[in-house]
Amino acid sequence: MVEKVLFIVFAALAVGSGVGVITRSNIVHALILLIFSFVNVAAIYLLTSAFFIAVVQILVYAGAILVLFTFVVMFLNLRQYQSMEQLHPVQKWVALIMTPLVLAEFVVVALAATWTAVGGPFDRETVAAGGGNVALLGERLFNDALLPFEIASLILLVAMVGAVVLAAKEGREFMETRAWADTDEERIPEFVEEEV
Amino acid sequence: MDIPIEWYLVLSAFLFVIGAAGVLTRRNMFIVLLSIELMMNAVNINLIGFSRLHDNFIGQHFVLFTMTVAAAEAAVGLAIVTSLFRNRQTTMVDLFDLLKG
Repeated sequence: MVEKVLFIVFAALAVGSGVGVITRSNIVHALILLIFSFVNVAAIYLLTSAFFIAVVQILVYAGAILVLFTFVVMFLNLRQYQSMEQLHPVQKWVALIMTPLVLAEFVVVALAATWTAVGGPFDRETVAAGGGNVALLGERLFNDALLPFEIASLILLVAMVGAVVLAAKEGREFMETRAWADTDEERIPEFVEEEV
Repeated sequence: MDIPIEWYLVLSAFLFVIGAAGVLTRRNMFIVLLSIELMMNAVNINLIGFSRLHDNFIGQHFVLFTMTVAAAEAAVGLAIVTSLFRNRQTTMVDLFDLLKG
């Protein structure tokens, strides 16, 4: 009973802050609301006794991905675009009609279908006796899914190289922007003055 | 007492639809990327719920790989946003309608 009440509370908070993410015009507010939503989802993972996934959710999503977003948002001067129209002129009407329909469809299908458990080998007692969620998850991961695990590391490497190649400036341009840093001339970008 | 699987599915449906609405309606590229993260999270909730229902770890393995792909997608997406902003001085997605290098 307690679990169900907690599930409803965390689910309501996650959905509420999710709505906040797509309605804020300030990107930093949207980012912080998204972090809050992810923390609530991590709490739901804890209720489901997926402890390792809950910790990874906070470390990777809230800790790494959203901090990366925050850094990029602060690199770019986006304040001047806040006053612009935030919604797409045509697609907002399409979304207004389509999203409730799709949501209703999802909910009807989820509630109408009968879900039968196949009864796998790792119920609560087996997991508790076998050393807990983290130990068994790691053991199964490295036995059943070793090749996908290695491919995942390759994907991360490719993404890292790709991000560096895409975000790096062109060679000469980079040297030119660096040049003023070595001289005595003090160059303040104009947006810094605007912010004050 | 376990939480019924339908609750996970309904929560996941809500989060997914919110993310889809964000991708469709917002013009700001950052909010579009954040909405994509929200949709991936909705899928992860489903996988965790079914992993609990079926008493195995396959769903949790899938969530680990989804998170890997989400991290890669965020890194590449943000790099694309940075280079687009450098070239066009804006992040409004509907302004990027020219197929011209």
